[in-house]
Amino acid sequence: MSLTAFKRALWVYHLNTGSCNGCDIEILAVLTPRYDAERFGIKLVGSPRHADVLLVTGPVVKQMVSRVKRIYEQIPDPKLVMAVGNCGTEGGVFYESYSLAGPIDQIIPVDVYVPGCPPRPEAIIHGVVMAWVKLEKLFKQEVA
Amino acid sequence: MEKLTPQAIIDSFGKELGDGFVGGSVYEREVAVKKNKFRSLWVEVKKSAFRDAVKHIFHLQEYPHLAIISSSDLGAEVELIYHFTIYYGYHLEELSLGLRVKLPKNDLKIPTITDLIPGALFTERETQEMMGVEVVDIPDKRRLFLPEDFPEGAYPWRKDEKGPPNDMLRVLPGREQK
Amino acid sequence: MIQEETKKATYNIPVGPIHPALKEPIRLALSVDGEEIVDADVFVGQVHRGIEWLGMNRNNPIQSIYIAERICGICNICHPFSFVMAVEHAAGITPPPRADYIRAITAEMERIHSHLLWAGVAAHEIGFDTVFYFTWRVREEIMDLIEYVTGNRVTKAMFQIGGVRRDITEEQLPRIRQSLDYYKSIYDKLEKVFLDDKTIRMRTMNVGILKKEDALKLLTCGPSGRASGVPKDVRQDQPYGAYADLGIKAMTPDMVTGTVVGDVYDRIIVRLLEVKQAVEIIEQCLENMPPGPILAQPKTAVLLKALTQAEGEGLGRAEAPRGEVFHYVRMEAGQSTLATWKVRAPTYVNLMSVPTILKGMQIADVPITFASLDPCMSCTNRVVITDRAISRRSVIDYEELHRLSVEKTKELPQ
Repeated sequence: MSLTAFKRALWVYHLNTGSCNGCDIEILAVLTPRYDAERFGIKLVGSPRHADVLLVTGPVVKQMVSRVKRIYEQIPDPKLVMAVGNCGTEGGVFYESYSLAGPIDQIIPVDVYVPGCPPRPEAIIHGVVMAWVKLEKLFKQEVA
Repeated sequence: MEKLTPQAIIDSFGKELGDGFVGGSVYEREVAVKKNKFRSLWVEVKKSAFRDAVKHIFHLQEYPHLAIISSSDLGAEVELIYHFTIYYGYHLEELSLGLRVKLPKNDLKIPTITDLIPGALFTERETQEMMGVEVVDIPDKRRLFLPEDFPEGAYPWRKDEKGPPNDMLRVLPGREQK
Repeated sequence: MIQEETKKATYNIPVGPIHPALKEPIRLALSVDGEEIVDADVFVGQVHRGIEWLGMNRNNPIQSIYIAERICGICNICHPFSFVMAVEHAAGITPPPRADYIRAITAEMERIHSHLLWAGVAAHEIGFDTVFYFTWRVREEIMDLIEYVTGNRVTKAMFQIGGVRRDITEEQLPRIRQSLDYYKSIYDKLEKVFLDDKTIRMRTMNVGILKKEDALKLLTCGPSGRASGVPKDVRQDQPYGAYADLGIKAMTPDMVTGTVVGDVYDRIIVRLLEVKQAVEIIEQCLENMPPGPILAQPKTAVLLKALTQAEGEGLGRAEAPRGEVFHYVRMEAGQSTLATWKVRAPTYVNLMSVPTILKGMQIADVPITFASLDPCMSCTNRVVITDRAISRRSVIDYEELHRLSVEKTKELPQ
């Protein structure tokens, strides 16, 4: 694990645990030419084994719990988890339902929360930048 | 097929089903500036005449569209409404037809209609798992939406003791437990 | 490559309505014979959040509007639209005509944004990433317009029982017309990019055919049904809101090609025609908008009390970008929650045609065929497709499927 890996690019893996897709289309809008996060080196990858950051949306539906844990374990260290949207942060409007296993931090540890229903693309970029800064700090602590 | 007026359709059900026909009504409402009419029909039949009623709808429209089966827990009985639409494809002529069947709670069985309408499979499976109604002769008995480890005998749409168990529910802080 | 495993496994193929790399909770189980698909099974349930239960046991009707909005983030207007119509039907409330027109305008704006979103995803599935970025850039214009009129990009909160919550004023009209002119000017380019391109034609013509009779028996609705020749459109057949005054015609592919085949290419045609139609409808509504109030009962507390005492049942039907949305509501006097609430989203019925259209296709065609139905999984729940037939069961992940699809495009003769 070298520090230089993060100075170049941040690879992100997106996971949907049962959300309404509102947060997901705003995440995709971040990559399109209008907001264009790719010029900063943020890239969406198709497999968890290549990722640095896990972007989770949705209140975790009971059927998805084992899948979330498995994907979290497949991402190599160092990693960060970002919960995007109100459903992931604290359950959203669906908190009282019988089919939910709780907000995301009941299942895997979360580092950055981006609230909003759904959050604007600017807020998501801000969240990713905060995650980036946190990762760099973690690395400095490890190396030091 | 010629198109009948709403009242003529209800009368045709009465003629075809005889005793099995319990009642029917037409609801009309005016819409927007030009005041065109929005119409929906509601027909109630007995369980014994249910399949004949569905076959009768095929006399009115070659391929009726079944939107969904909705179920309500009315205490001692469960009411199923099969929401059909007929006469679609023409400007301002479509009619919504709701076919109502009441089932007593000690005998919650209804015959399937997937041989007439293959597209009714999903909604029959959902009624089975969510309300506890047994659909006789359904080709695929599996659960549709609920996970496999959801407790047997718990039906989310029921209002009586067979609803989802309390340990699966949460209450928002500040709301009293209903 | 495709790995053979001896233990029982199903493919976890996340195929989402938005981006292939987005892991939508869908499970497809395909049974294959060499490269050809023999059967498919659909498993749904991974997005099941118990919405109807929440509306019946926890929330009053006004709070349930906001839950209905979050059934799906893309079709964000049609669910509250039909829910509000059902409650008005049950409680006997009539919205003023100006509210009907504003509702129709927001519904058409949503249709434009949803079809452009879908077009970008379909292009990505074939491997044209440039077209994906181009289409989503074009889409940003309508998102700006939606934010200007309603206040937010995605969850708009425009609906209230008895009317709408925000008005469209005279000062806003020039800005709206500017966006509509932009779409009119770019429509020809969109048509050329999607319909005249040789590679798209080769990848989508005669792929994923759904015949008219199968579409009628399996209850397919929306653009997928219209592409197969079923001219069913709620805005034309049983009008609601302002559509009753406008005279809408269902768009079918023979308006461009002259015949109806029912393949993926026809579905692209229908959706592009609807974008054009939506722009015309918004212009018509703006010209004919009647003056007046926008809410039947502006005071929310009084409205809530009236709803608690209301008794009756009602149904609401609307035409979403994907098909017909149906809500049924029953209310009892003295109960603060709804007594019964049943939702039917269009993907619920459109999914049943998946085994039929996938039979005989190659594995590399699965992404584009499945995406051409425009499945909105959160409206329905997960779908699992399984294939019996060959005794060999393979494990294949989404990356592999997408890669196969892109490679097929590269191998086409130029």
